Amino acid sequence: MTSAAAARISVWTVLKWATAIAIAVITIFPIWWMINVVFSLPGEPVAINPRLWPTSLSAGLEKIEMIFTQTGYLRAYGISLAYALLTILGVLFIGSLAAFEFALFDFPAKGPIFGIVMLSLMVPTAVTIIPTYLLTSNLGWLNSLQGLVVPGLASAFGLFMLVQFMRAIPKDMIEAARLDGAGHFQIYWHVALPLCRNALVTLAILTFMQTWGNYMWPLIVTTSPEMYTVGQVVGMFNAPLSHQTVDVVMTANLLAAVPPLLFFLIFQRKIVEGIAMSGTKG
Amino acid sequence: MAFLEIKSLCKSFESYSVLKDIDLSIEKGEFVVFVGPSGCGKSTLLRMITGLETPTSGTIAIEDEVINDVDPARRGTAMVFQSYALYPHMTVFQNISFGLRMSRKPKALIRERVEKAAAILRLDKLLDRKPAQLSGGQKQRVAIGRAIVREPRVFLFDEPLSNLDAELRVQMRAELLELHERLGTTMIYVTHDQVEAMTLADKMVVMSGGRIQQYGRPLDLYDDPDNKFVAGFVGSPKMNFLSATVASVGAGGLRADLAAGGAAALPLIEALAPGARIDIGIRPEQLSVVAAGQAPSADAVSVAGRVALIEDLGAESYLHLHLADDSRIGVRTARHAAHLGEEVRVAAPAAGVLVFDEAGARLRGRA
Repeated sequence: MTSAAAARISVWTVLKWATAIAIAVITIFPIWWMINVVFSLPGEPVAINPRLWPTSLSAGLEKIEMIFTQTGYLRAYGISLAYALLTILGVLFIGSLAAFEFALFDFPAKGPIFGIVMLSLMVPTAVTIIPTYLLTSNLGWLNSLQGLVVPGLASAFGLFMLVQFMRAIPKDMIEAARLDGAGHFQIYWHVALPLCRNALVTLAILTFMQTWGNYMWPLIVTTSPEMYTVGQVVGMFNAPLSHQTVDVVMTANLLAAVPPLLFFLIFQRKIVEGIAMSGTKG
Repeated sequence: MAFLEIKSLCKSFESYSVLKDIDLSIEKGEFVVFVGPSGCGKSTLLRMITGLETPTSGTIAIEDEVINDVDPARRGTAMVFQSYALYPHMTVFQNISFGLRMSRKPKALIRERVEKAAAILRLDKLLDRKPAQLSGGQKQRVAIGRAIVREPRVFLFDEPLSNLDAELRVQMRAELLELHERLGTTMIYVTHDQVEAMTLADKMVVMSGGRIQQYGRPLDLYDDPDNKFVAGFVGSPKMNFLSATVASVGAGGLRADLAAGGAAALPLIEALAPGARIDIGIRPEQLSVVAAGQAPSADAVSVAGRVALIEDLGAESYLHLHLADDSRIGVRTARHAAHLGEEVRVAAPAAGVLVFDEAGARLRGRA
């Protein structure tokens, strides 16, 4: 038995595991280091003889309290959350409505229109950012929540993903609903939407990650500190002329990283399912 | 006027014509089966009745009201799909009640109707389940329940049993007949399986190439088909066709030379002249093996061939004969009537055979 077991552990297996562990360590270490720095007495982790584990819970909590009470961090948190949640709602609603039409119905010039939307996936953000800024500015939406949210509401990627899912909905099901007297919107709401729930959850998570981590657009469109998002505030903590010490900066970073981390831990299975599976498995 | 009246109905998809000049009257309470090979337009006809397709020309009327432009949900038709089309995210109760909920019927009425339908279909204990937790037959019953609660004037079934295994199909067939008897509602049923059509139908519509070939009671179609297509399509095993040429026409009857060898005496058909090519249709059960050394009777159509295959079905056997003109015919006989590879002669009474002209139309003699 031992020989059989030994035979199965080949060089390939060892290499595979070594690579996997190395990648895990490389990925996890920065996060761990962040926690380590925050929950230690100031200066300890960067001392000549650094420790790799946290030493003081209370020191960490004090820093978190300090950041929340003495800076605009809490407000930025609220704005970021509102920015992310509104964007998610908009992207899901607009994307699924458009996908419903593109995937399940025929209308004139459907192919070319879908093609144009897909082409927009290839246009880098840097190219569109100035016209978008000018438009937002002309609308008088600088330094406002709608200025943050509205330009990001239509997602070509989201449309593409949802169209793929909705194409898998059997035509019979849509026709049966029609015969049952459901109107166009009712078919969308009661049949199509629930059937691509997995795709919607995935798109929501991906949109959250993207919005939460979006730095460039908020930086451009919100110039007054009352409208700063978490990304911007953390950016100020990190700035070269900031008078904060490393551990306080780390605390700001850690707080910014918590929501996406939680999101990912809770929903990571859904993300994989949503990307891998088609929509209509009963 | 009939309950459901279809007049000069045509349907084309772009330049391709799927249905040509369909005329059909269906009486109230009838169980009508549309049957035909794949692509004959039977499903399209059904979808036009329910409103999922619009006719290119012609009219469809239910109870004297033309419904061409009536919304599908308001036609008083309910359809059961081949794939069942159940909503996987809803329970059985929600599936069955979906139509009623969409039309905002009162909750008490919805519950009452769903429970009534569930009792008829023996779904009472399954109302809280999701479709994924049901067997094929149960899913089928839910799909029928969804149609029943709408209390339609006409039920439409689009090949509803083709996803079930053979045993369940026979059982569901009986259940459908029972349901028809109980509800007394007009039902239209589409299938490509002629056995299913024969067993279910009050009236059978045989379709091919976008046209109705014949419409009538199943046994009438079996005994008295209008053309070669219907004759070959209705009945299992299939009818045999022997090609022949008319040799002489006399007062008492006509003689024809069979392509497979031999001659046949047939009843007189006035439309035929010597030299005309015909097909003689004989059902496998009309043929019997002529004992060696015996001559077939003079008023029989007989033909000789080599036994190429024997299907033993238990009570009877089914012989495949290879004829001299390379055609094949089937003969239904008692067990052990012949051996594989043996040359046998089979005969059928001439009075029972059917004659078709070159184009496939039935030629009827004087009775």
